[in-house]
Amino acid sequence: MGVQLLLEKVKVEGIRHYDVYRREGGYRSVEKALKQMSPEAIVEEVKKSGLRGRGGAGFPAGMKWSFIAKPEGVPRHLVCNADESEPGTFKDRYLMEFIPHLLIEGLIVSSYALGSNDTYIYIRGEYAWIADILETAIEEAKANGMLGKNILQSGFDCNIYVHRGAGAYICGEETALIESLEGKRGNPRIKPPFPAVQGVWMRPTVVNNVETLAAVVPIINDGGEAYAKIGVGKSTGTKLISACGNINRPGVYEIDMTISVEEFIYSDEYCGGIPNGKRLKACIPGGSSVPILPANLLLKTAKGEARLMNYESLSDGGFVSGSMMGSGGFIVLDEDQCIVKNTYTLTRFYRHESCGQCSPCREGTGWMEKILWRLENGEGKESDIDLLWDIQRRIEGNTICPLGDAAAWPVAAAIRHFRDEFEWHVREPQEARKRNYGLAHYADPIHVPVAG
Amino acid sequence: MSEQPLLTVTIDNITLQVPAGTTILQAARKIGGEVAPPAMCYYSKLKESGGKCRTCLVEVSKGSEKDPRPLPKLVASCRTTVMDGMEVKNITSPRVLDARAGVVEFLLINHPLDCPICDQAGECHLQDLSYEHGKEGTRYEFQRRTFKKHDLGPYIQLHMTRCILCYRCVYTADQLTARREHGVLDRGDHAEIATHIEKSLENNFIGNVIDVCPVGALTDKTFRFKNRVWFLKPLNAHRDCPDCCGKVTLWNRGDEVYRVTARKDEWGEVESLEDGSAAWICNTCRFDKKKTSDWVIEGPRDINRHSVISQGHYAGKIGTTTPTEIFTAVHDGRQPKLLMDIHSVSEVNRPEIELSRIAGPSHSNDFQKGNE
Repeated sequence: MGVQLLLEKVKVEGIRHYDVYRREGGYRSVEKALKQMSPEAIVEEVKKSGLRGRGGAGFPAGMKWSFIAKPEGVPRHLVCNADESEPGTFKDRYLMEFIPHLLIEGLIVSSYALGSNDTYIYIRGEYAWIADILETAIEEAKANGMLGKNILQSGFDCNIYVHRGAGAYICGEETALIESLEGKRGNPRIKPPFPAVQGVWMRPTVVNNVETLAAVVPIINDGGEAYAKIGVGKSTGTKLISACGNINRPGVYEIDMTISVEEFIYSDEYCGGIPNGKRLKACIPGGSSVPILPANLLLKTAKGEARLMNYESLSDGGFVSGSMMGSGGFIVLDEDQCIVKNTYTLTRFYRHESCGQCSPCREGTGWMEKILWRLENGEGKESDIDLLWDIQRRIEGNTICPLGDAAAWPVAAAIRHFRDEFEWHVREPQEARKRNYGLAHYADPIHVPVAG
Repeated sequence: MSEQPLLTVTIDNITLQVPAGTTILQAARKIGGEVAPPAMCYYSKLKESGGKCRTCLVEVSKGSEKDPRPLPKLVASCRTTVMDGMEVKNITSPRVLDARAGVVEFLLINHPLDCPICDQAGECHLQDLSYEHGKEGTRYEFQRRTFKKHDLGPYIQLHMTRCILCYRCVYTADQLTARREHGVLDRGDHAEIATHIEKSLENNFIGNVIDVCPVGALTDKTFRFKNRVWFLKPLNAHRDCPDCCGKVTLWNRGDEVYRVTARKDEWGEVESLEDGSAAWICNTCRFDKKKTSDWVIEGPRDINRHSVISQGHYAGKIGTTTPTEIFTAVHDGRQPKLLMDIHSVSEVNRPEIELSRIAGPSHSNDFQKGNE
């Protein structure tokens, strides 16, 4: 195992409770930040660390913090995005469930840095028991003077509130989350204005993912430069990966972004290989909305280098031959999986979760779902594949929020890399009902470099 | 207050100056003609409207004078404000036209296309949009989404099947009326406009949702199936109303008033009054005053020459800019390819004749005589 910053103490008995967490060295960063550091110094430290948003987009967190508007007399807010609903992603759930005080600690430090006296955790409604765990943790922190009025005699007041969502994926988008937090229908807002200027109740707001805020704790404890030394290039620190699908050891792993994808899938320390001696066919490396990659492009980039588990390497080659780190939901598909069915399942999810505000996403996702259903059930036509391509092309980039892109990318990537399998579904409908296409040539080495 | 500096913006090679805070769409509407992007959800009189339908997408090829980088994505012109030195491409950008054709296709896949029995036909924004930007056929081969019809009170019928979820009526109900009782239920392609548990809408101004609806989803029950709009003669009229401005358009056939609507400008929006507020009308004016004697008639209303309503020869000044002027300016002096100039071969519909001044149905004789 590499460096562990977030999950190091997660197996300690009773770490869920304040006493044990404190005994194991918790809340040191709060003491350090509130007693020794100015808010600006914390933002500077986070900038130095090179921490990137862990929610999916990978935007530098320090930059985001420095954008927050600071008008006189207007309160500012920090909102923690715990609406983790992406299929295949469950890292925040693990973190919040087993080591909730780490998040609370990160939230206090970040609230101090941003000047937020009322901080919110927006948690998805399905995580009902985790909301209770967080509320218990907040009560414990409050009882021990880490929350409430005048924390550690520093003069800084902070309260954390847990807000339960009502089960909408779209509320994980930051402006939809803000609308929902305000008690309205969770429709994404049109940007600009950005939340950093007008967020919750038109006040400056920063929305960050759970993991991002938890990562602030080791940054303050050890310093931004020490954090930046872990990992490679612009992928600094550690990343939680929730691995699932056809692997021997599904679960949440903390990696330091220097290991290769091959090692991550096959080493016994992490996923432990594919069960029943099956072969790797494809993988969705960052949660359901990122492009799917066939085995040959997953393990090696188009240039022939080994692909590493980090932001740059996973997106090497753009969308032509690469994918994205996304939120870290690592879904592995073995040779028995049908890509058409997989794409259909994902599209059904996006159709169900589209908010219905802007027309390309509202109508396009439903249309794609119907076509994919037809293809999967052997009633498709050859023209359907091109039609799907055309629909996704017209959704992508033309919508208010990234859900349209997220719905278009999996379809685009599936057609780009697995067109043979789609065509087989059209030409051999009887066969397609009986069996799967199998591994085919998707793991064969690529001799000719892929363009792009 | 000091005078606000004017910003320079170039839209489709036409440069103009607008005050700060103007959106690209408003700037383009100042030029008018084809350069103005179509808007299905934006309504300048309703706060927060716009940005949803994506028909007004434009390409920003130069962000501003300070930061000349082009914007990576197409932007919704109705919600993007102009920057100094911005260059925008609307009808000169193939990317925009392609995206717009896509949006039209998306809007139409679940639309019932029941124009022959729809009261909105003839004045429907979706009809105009699909005529200008749509394809002749559909690639959609599945069952279309349908809903049951609902009555929102005694005067308004909601036919959700036709709805394109522009949210205009939601904003109208929100901003004109005190209580929030009209909104959107569900999400995605099964989202529906509804009142809370099928309540009726009891508000004196709620009839305005009919006027803002770009399609035939919200219709006037006192006018349903009574007549086609192009058989009616629109007349400007007013009355002394205690609740509203009382300035309306009467839609007559002979002496009979078939329906009453607010006065709409060339963009299909309710006109502004002198003080800048919108000329919304109350339910009494709209639904109850259906006699000519209730109104003081000002005269025939100007109707866009391109509108099917003008086939009754009541066309006037609005929208009489010929398409060639703008087209030539946009395309570096290139003339549009016209199959023929109708005025050179036809004796009727000559542009110099003020059509609304002709009493009754017009004949070729009227054109030969001229306007005397």
